[in-house]
Amino acid sequence: MRSHRFYTPWLLMLPALVWLGLFSVWPAINTVTLSFTNVHQLTGGHFIGLKNYWLLWHDPHIRDAVLNTIVFMVICVPLLTLLPLLLALLVQRNIRGIAFFRTAFYFPVIASAVTVALIWKWMLDDRGLFNNLLQTMGFVHKTVPFLTDRWLLLLSAIALTVWKGLGYYMLLYMSALGSVRRDLHEAAAVDGAGTVRRFWSITVPGVRGTMILISVLIAVNAMRVFSELYILGGATGGVGGQDVSIVMLVQQAASGSDGRLGYASAISVFLFFLTAIPLLFLTRLNKNSQEES
Amino acid sequence: MRRTTAVSAIAVAATLLAGCGVGSKSSSADANKTVSTTAALSGSITFQTWSLKNDKFTPYFNTLIAAFKQAHPGTDVNWIDQPGDGYPTKVASQVSTGSLPDVINLPPDIAHSVAKTGNLLDLKQNDPTLATDYVKSGLAAYNYQDVSGGSQDFGFPWYLGTDVSYWNKTMMAKDGLDATKPPKTFDDLVAQAKIMHDASGGKDYLMSRAPGLSDIANTGTKLLTADGTKFAFNTAPAEAMLDKYTAAYKAGYLPSNVLDNSYEGNSTLFSKQQVAWTTGGGNLITSLQQDNPTLAPNVLPSPALDTAPLYVQGLSVSSKSKNLPLALAFAEFVTNNANQTAFVKLAPGFLPGSAASANDPQYTKSDGTPQGDAAVIAYQDMQTAVNFTPPIWTDAMNTILNQEIAKAMTGKETSKQALDNTVNQANALLTQ
Repeated sequence: MRSHRFYTPWLLMLPALVWLGLFSVWPAINTVTLSFTNVHQLTGGHFIGLKNYWLLWHDPHIRDAVLNTIVFMVICVPLLTLLPLLLALLVQRNIRGIAFFRTAFYFPVIASAVTVALIWKWMLDDRGLFNNLLQTMGFVHKTVPFLTDRWLLLLSAIALTVWKGLGYYMLLYMSALGSVRRDLHEAAAVDGAGTVRRFWSITVPGVRGTMILISVLIAVNAMRVFSELYILGGATGGVGGQDVSIVMLVQQAASGSDGRLGYASAISVFLFFLTAIPLLFLTRLNKNSQEES
Repeated sequence: MRRTTAVSAIAVAATLLAGCGVGSKSSSADANKTVSTTAALSGSITFQTWSLKNDKFTPYFNTLIAAFKQAHPGTDVNWIDQPGDGYPTKVASQVSTGSLPDVINLPPDIAHSVAKTGNLLDLKQNDPTLATDYVKSGLAAYNYQDVSGGSQDFGFPWYLGTDVSYWNKTMMAKDGLDATKPPKTFDDLVAQAKIMHDASGGKDYLMSRAPGLSDIANTGTKLLTADGTKFAFNTAPAEAMLDKYTAAYKAGYLPSNVLDNSYEGNSTLFSKQQVAWTTGGGNLITSLQQDNPTLAPNVLPSPALDTAPLYVQGLSVSSKSKNLPLALAFAEFVTNNANQTAFVKLAPGFLPGSAASANDPQYTKSDGTPQGDAAVIAYQDMQTAVNFTPPIWTDAMNTILNQEIAKAMTGKETSKQALDNTVNQANALLTQ
C-alpha cells in the first residue's frame, strides 16, 4: 500500500480553509480590530483604545437591548426545546393523514422571516385579526396593544419565533427519536410505566444529545434576534425604542453614510462574549450529563 | 516558543491596528482646486445617477449625453446608475476605494459626509455664476458650516421637492370645517383637529403624524448652535410644541398607531379617507386623478403650514477627478435651466433647481384648477422652503429623536426630558 504525501490532507482541506479564513476568521479578527477604532463608513479613523467599550457601557439603550435579548433567549430556549419534541412524538405515529400535519408544521420554516413577521404584524395590529377576535368574543373591550406595549411586543416576537421554529426542530427530533429503542418502551410498559414516566425516563434520555444541540442552536439564534423585532417594532425598536435587541443596536450604529463601524464592532464583540455564556453553560451541562450516564 | 508566539501576536495586532488608520485620506486642498474653464474639453468622465436608469429616464439621459458630446467633440461620458437601496454604503465604498465617479448625484446628507473627506470639489470658486444660476434654498443645502466654515458649495441643485398641504373638503364639511379656510399654523391645525374629532365622535382625523425635526424648526428654534457644530433644539418653544402634540395624541386627535410600526403614513391614510389632511408634492391631485379618481375632486391644496420643507437632489464633482474641466462642464450642462426643465417634466411633483425656471409660466401661473393651483403653490413654497435636516444629522440621531418623541407622547417622559435626552445623545454621537 502506497502512503500519501504529507500535504495531501492539507490540499484536500485547502478550499474549506480558504473559505473559512476569508469569510469567518478574517472578518472576526477585523471586527475585533475595528472595535478599538473610531472608523466611520466614510472615514479611516484611528486607534482609540477602549473608548468604544466605555461608550457601550454608558449607552442608554444597551441595558434595554441586553434585557430584551436575554428574556427572548430564556423564554425561547425551553419552549423550542420541549414543544418540538412533543410535536415530533405526535407526528411520528403512522396514522392516516399524518403527512399533512407534518407538512403543515414544517411550512412556517420555509416561509421567509420577513414575510412571516409581516403577516404577524397585520394580525397583531390594533385592527388586526387577534384584536378583532378578542373583542368579538367579548374577552376585551379595548384593543390589546400587542405592537405598542414593550413586553407584549417582545412576547409577540417570541411567539412568532417559536411558531416559526417548531417545524425545523421537530424534524431534528423525529430523526433522533428513530434511535430510541422501542424494546425499552415495551419493557417499561410491561412493568407498568405510564406514558409520562416513559417520556421522562426513556424518550428524553434517548434524545438528550439532540436536545443539547437544539438548545445551543436556539440560544445562539435568540441572542442574534433581529428580523422579528425589527418587523414588528420598526426601525426604532418599538415605541420609544424599548424593544431593541443587541443586533438592532449594531444595525443602527453601522447604517447610514455616517455609520460608526468602530462602535458597531464593539457591540458585536460584546454580543460574541454574551453569546458564549449560555453556550459554555449548555456545553458544561452536556458534559456533566454524559459523565453521570 | 511561548515568547515567539507572544511576539508574533503583538506583531499581528500592531499590523492590524496600524491598518486601521488607513482609510480615505484626503485633504481640503483637493476641494480647493481651481479648474480651468477655458481649456478645450477632451477625454472621458464617469457620471453616476441614483436609481434613474429605467424606461422613463434612460432616453432622456442618452439624448442629454449625446447632445453634450456633440457640443464637445472628442469627449465621452460613461453613465452608470446605482440601485435605490444601499446608496450611502455604495458611495462610502467608492470613496474608500478611490473610485468615486467624476460627476455624481448626491443628496445633501451624503454629499456632506463625502465633502468632509475632501473628495468633493468646491463649486463656488469654480462657477462664478453659481449664486445667480440656481435656486438659493437648493444651493444652501450643499453649504456646510462644519466644512471650511460654510465658505464652499458642494452641489449643483438639480431637482427639488417641497410639500403642499392637501385637504379633503368633503370630510371637513361633514365635520363642520371649511377646506377653503384651512389651518395656516400648527395651533390652527390642533384647533380644527379638535373640531373634527368632536364632530365625528373620534372617527375622523385631521392630524395623522408624529412630530419631527421640521416641526421643531418651525417653532422658530434654531437646531444648531451659532457655530453649527452642536445641536441646541431643546428650547422652550420646541417643548411647548411637543406638549401640544402630546395633549392632542392623548385626546385622540391623532390615530393611536402613529407611534408604532403599523402606522401607514399620512398620505396612505388620506387616500383611504381616514384622514382629512396630508402633505405631498405639487402633483398629488394629478396622481390621485389616476389612482383614486373618487377622492381627487374632493381635494383642495394650500401652502404648507409654517415654513415648507425642501427636498433636494444635486450633482457634485469629485475633487479626485482626473478630468476636472470636463466633469465640471458636464455637471453644469446637466443642471442648466433648459436641461433641468426638460428633466423635471419627466418627474412630476419635482421642481427645477435653476433660478431661471421662475420665468416659466407653468410654475408661476395657475390654470385655475386645484392641480394647477397646487403646482404654483409648490413653486412658491420652494422659494422659502428650507432643508430642515442639518448635514450633521444622521440616521442614528433621527432614530433617537423618534424614540424620545414617542416616549414623551406616551407619557413616559416629559417633553423637556425627551428633547434634552435627544440633544445630549445627538451631541455625544458627534464626538464619536
